[in-house]
Amino acid sequence: MGDFSSVLHLCEGDQHVIAATQHLVKALGSSKILNDDLRKILSQLDSHLSSMNIITTESRGPGFREVEEQFRCSEEKIMGWESRQSFIWDCGPLEASQYLKSVHDIQTLVEGFRSLSANEDRKHKELVNRAESLLQIAMSKLEEELIHILVKHKQYFEPEYMSFRSWRRDVVYDESFVSVEDIAFEEESQRNFCGSESEEYILDLVDPHVIPHLKSIADIMFASNYHQEFCQAFISARRDALEEYLIILKVEKLSIEDVLKMQWDSLSSKIKNWVRAMKIIIRYLASEKRLCDQISGDFGFVSPLCFADISKVSLLPLLSFGEAIAMETHGPEKLFCLLDMYEVVADNLLYIDTLFSEEAGAWVRIEFHELHRGLADTARATFMAFGNAIAANGSTSPFPKGAIHPLTKYVMNHISTLTIYCNALNVLLKDHDTADSNPPENGHISSSLTYGHLACRLRSITSTLEFNLDCKSKLYKDAALQHIFLMNNFHYMVEKVKGSELRLFFGDDWIRKHIVKFQQHATSYQRATWSLVLSLLRDDGSASKASLNEKCRGFCIAFEEVYKSQTGWSIPDSQLREELQISTSQKVVHAYRNFTGRNSSSIGDKYIKYTADDLQNYILDFFDGSSRSLQNSRWKEPAWF
Amino acid sequence: MRATDNQGSFLNRISIRRNQVVSMDGNHEQELEDLDLFQKHVADRFSDLLSSTSDDDSVLSIAWLRKLLDAFLCCEAEFKAVLLMGRDPSQISKPPLDRLVPEFLDRVVKALDVCNAAAHGVESVRHYQKLAEIVVAAFEQKPIGDGQVRRAKKALNSLMLTLEDKEGSTHKSAERTWSFGRRGAPSNKDRSTAGNFRSLSWTMSKGWSAAKQIQAMSANLVAPRGGESSGLALPVYIMSTIMVFVMWALVAAIPCQERNGLLTHFPVPRQLGWAQSMIVLQDRIAEEWKKKKEKNKLAGLLEETQRLERLGLSLIEFSDSFQFPGEAERLEEVAAQVSELSEICKKMEEGLVPLQQQIREVFHRVVRSRTEILDVLDQGGKMSAPTM
Repeated sequence: MGDFSSVLHLCEGDQHVIAATQHLVKALGSSKILNDDLRKILSQLDSHLSSMNIITTESRGPGFREVEEQFRCSEEKIMGWESRQSFIWDCGPLEASQYLKSVHDIQTLVEGFRSLSANEDRKHKELVNRAESLLQIAMSKLEEELIHILVKHKQYFEPEYMSFRSWRRDVVYDESFVSVEDIAFEEESQRNFCGSESEEYILDLVDPHVIPHLKSIADIMFASNYHQEFCQAFISARRDALEEYLIILKVEKLSIEDVLKMQWDSLSSKIKNWVRAMKIIIRYLASEKRLCDQISGDFGFVSPLCFADISKVSLLPLLSFGEAIAMETHGPEKLFCLLDMYEVVADNLLYIDTLFSEEAGAWVRIEFHELHRGLADTARATFMAFGNAIAANGSTSPFPKGAIHPLTKYVMNHISTLTIYCNALNVLLKDHDTADSNPPENGHISSSLTYGHLACRLRSITSTLEFNLDCKSKLYKDAALQHIFLMNNFHYMVEKVKGSELRLFFGDDWIRKHIVKFQQHATSYQRATWSLVLSLLRDDGSASKASLNEKCRGFCIAFEEVYKSQTGWSIPDSQLREELQISTSQKVVHAYRNFTGRNSSSIGDKYIKYTADDLQNYILDFFDGSSRSLQNSRWKEPAWF
Repeated sequence: MRATDNQGSFLNRISIRRNQVVSMDGNHEQELEDLDLFQKHVADRFSDLLSSTSDDDSVLSIAWLRKLLDAFLCCEAEFKAVLLMGRDPSQISKPPLDRLVPEFLDRVVKALDVCNAAAHGVESVRHYQKLAEIVVAAFEQKPIGDGQVRRAKKALNSLMLTLEDKEGSTHKSAERTWSFGRRGAPSNKDRSTAGNFRSLSWTMSKGWSAAKQIQAMSANLVAPRGGESSGLALPVYIMSTIMVFVMWALVAAIPCQERNGLLTHFPVPRQLGWAQSMIVLQDRIAEEWKKKKEKNKLAGLLEETQRLERLGLSLIEFSDSFQFPGEAERLEEVAAQVSELSEICKKMEEGLVPLQQQIREVFHRVVRSRTEILDVLDQGGKMSAPTM
């Protein structure tokens, strides 16, 4: 390339001589007299001129011919590729570097000629024209190469691979409010991802070995002032790649109207997919940004402009779906999916801010913040509506067998799932709650959770539940069954809290108080059922045989009645059931044994239908959930007596 | 009168009055006054819009569209005040509002989709701008030679292709061959030459049509009559009409998915004072639309786009006949056209992104208003969830 510049340098020298001569002619023209010194210099110049070879416009001597030669060589190279069907970079690095050198030569030539614009001769102009034309052809070719490389070497990643964050749970979105089975929710809360710009997070969207090729094309196109073409082609190819990837991720282009009309079933699966796609796309975008930086990072503001233009439009369907979901008020069972959506946006908000920190990306930034706000409002409103829904859940008939009400199960399962969203909810509720208990600074984890916004809300939710259960218990005519019902439900709540993350939110104090509560109901049950029955066995001073017999008979009948009804009651928790049976047994059997022992001589055998051991066994049938009768089996067999 | 000047005071007056007068019956006269004021402001805003077309900005220029959206936002704020502020929720859940308000909200949802489509359409216009900038860059280099002309022509051809591509036709996008998974090279040069300047794909599902959307928005738009015309039915009607007009103008100006069969007329009673300027504007835009449709050029009525198209055609003609070094006279002409082109590009550069942001602002504002109105309806308790 040295040859080109030296000739150009020579031409530049010419320019100086011409300028000086023009100046000289002008100076001479203004004066009529020549002094001796001047005459002497001019005659020296004259002889110097006559000894020089005069370069005509037709042949500019060896330097210029060399330039033309070089030019023709480059022209041949560049035009040669125009007739070929293949791509340069596909034919190996040597071809590519030769081509780039030719383009570079032409470009230098054009640059040089441009700085010599004063030269007006026709031949020169023709040459410049040809060079510029050739440069355009080369640029066009490079543009095609650029797109070809970008398309051929683009890389996609299996969505499964992209979603490297372990799926911490699979929350069932579509459980209804009324009936829900005990679902053990997977709870892996080990995730503390906040978009970090670690290398591992970023993927190669284009095969890394072609990055230098792309860079060399960028360099030469920018140097030739064809940066606009470069950017357009680059943006277009990368935008296509992103759109294709969105199709792979099953991101659909749905109108807001469509989304609002959609049935919950299909909507919930679309929401799941949206959350997944959003997580992956953010990672993809981070990788895209790096690619932009690698290729055009050297050219100032170009890289962020490209990046914004590539991402912007493709994100619209994702944003629009999010907005549509945030527009609707939802039932409590939809809270989880709202929270999932909220979380993915909230978790990545700062990261989006960093990715699109430049002015060019302001639009994306603003839209994400709007979406964040919208989802936060809707999620919060849905959460708040949950308490109201519990309060409003009324019943007209008592719940059979005094067992655990579905509402209790639902609420407890629901809130224990909510703890997975602890961080998000604490933030959401913080903006909402004004006067609340102040969390202790730097308290250890359990206490800070216990005093957090979510914990307060959860406790208030369970209070509402307790109140509601209290109302429901009033529907039982039998006071004892009221207590069984409340004992069962409170016990369930306590167990649920103790056995899950909820214990961190409710705290030991709450647990202790609620253990006391259900124990009190157990005691109250015993009082309500057995006080009257056992009072029959009380020693009231009269020891007449008849009255003792009558007492014993009365007791047996009462016991049979209790047996008949309470075997039909249910205490689903076996341990709780056994405990209550044992303590009941102790009380009843003890009293019975005392009574029969004390009066064994007075009471006729006929009246002692059951031994103490019988009673003890019968009590084990209690709270089994299936009503049985003693009369059928034993009592009505008078033949033996 | 500037659109924003009177807004604050208007809202204040409403809120003060509503707070003073709690009884609903005694309120009626005040309400009539509020309604009058609202109509007057709407009339003023649209006559401003009309008069601004005569001096600096022509109808459907970027600057004018931005004014239009400004006017929309102001009207919308006042409308919400008239409809909701200090009002007993039960009032808007009574007939005829129990029908009109949900209908209005239905229009709102459709408007949101139009906003999305238009925001996306602005991106297409930015694409035109980028291509036009290449033309400017090529022709601004002196002297103009074959290289520059070819460079410009390439961009011009792409520009004309993308402009035509927006004529509601989908045949181009159907040709797209996806190649994911496969690593094979796409069919050679066809793709790369046409491909790199290919216009953007649409943002909505297949079958979504901006024209149909506008049609549906205007379908049950009927001016209240008799007793209704003095009540709250009127502002609901006015706001609906404004919304339909603004969305219609956006669709006409900016490339949007499927505009075939776009309405050229929707009924606005001519006797209504507030509608006068709007009717004139509507007629003018409709006229333009018909003219363009005849020529089968529907890249959008956006003033800047149309100028690009005109200049583009002329420059293509120049490029086709160009022979180095070109005639001085013709070159001078081209220089003038290029500087005009450059000026349009500058306008686009300055105006398109803010326009896009404003469309999004309209979107978010309308979403919020919808939520507020739904809340009030909810409080009114008379209505179950809206059927949308």
